[in-house]
Amino acid sequence: MTFGLIETVFFALLTMGIVGAAVGVVFLKRITGAALLMAFTFLCMAGMFVLLGAETIAAFQVLIYVGAITVLILYGVMFTPQTDRAYSLFFQKQTPIAGLFVLPIAIFVALFAFTFRDSPAPSGKGGDLVPLATSVFRDFAFPFEIASVLLLAAMIGAIVLVKREED
Amino acid sequence: MVSTIPIGAFIAVSAVLFFIGVTGVLIRRNAVVILMCVELMLNATNLALVAFSRRAGLADERGSVFVVFVFVVAAAEVAVGLAIVLSVYRNRPTVDVDEVHAMKG
Repeated sequence: MTFGLIETVFFALLTMGIVGAAVGVVFLKRITGAALLMAFTFLCMAGMFVLLGAETIAAFQVLIYVGAITVLILYGVMFTPQTDRAYSLFFQKQTPIAGLFVLPIAIFVALFAFTFRDSPAPSGKGGDLVPLATSVFRDFAFPFEIASVLLLAAMIGAIVLVKREED
Repeated sequence: MVSTIPIGAFIAVSAVLFFIGVTGVLIRRNAVVILMCVELMLNATNLALVAFSRRAGLADERGSVFVVFVFVVAAAEVAVGLAIVLSVYRNRPTVDVDEVHAMKG
């Protein structure tokens, strides 16, 4: 049963990493630091996926989020100025009323979340790669093709949006 | 790997992360930081999808397939979003979303 204890410790560490880094993303004034903390959140989330037994998704997470999206965001930070004004909407007179509405919903969500007491199912031989690939390329083959068209459209759109007109 | 942590704990972490992302979108005014917080929210939904996909008794990986598609859409979204932010910044030198109101009715 020592294995379960190690897992619980890992889960607690990853939760602290995710929540702490995400709060840092929201409240840090320096945008570069916020972007790097976002990358740390994504890395901890990959650890969560491993704990859930979804190793393939964890690998995708590291490749796409920690690799590609963080680099894109850092380029966006590099090309834009860092504004000093922050937290404009935070302490207004509507805040207590909004809290009054948010609190019951939060309590309901917490109670709903902890009705799921069963543990993740153990993955079979070969991890989750085999069932994932079977699902993607058999049941979801058409949406897969649509996704490639979406990526092509997004790429062309991004190029057209930032292209300078030659005059 | 056989896990002993209940699914509800993962769902709770996902809800907390989604809430933090919503807070960031609402209180930050820098367009790039708003994009980062949207990414946090997408990641929170990914965690919930994988957690429900891994529930005991469910043999297939439908939830994880949706996560793969969310990855694709997130990559497209951040590319187009940053392109829009950069082109707005080229036309008027600000990334403060309160000062960009050219399409406000």
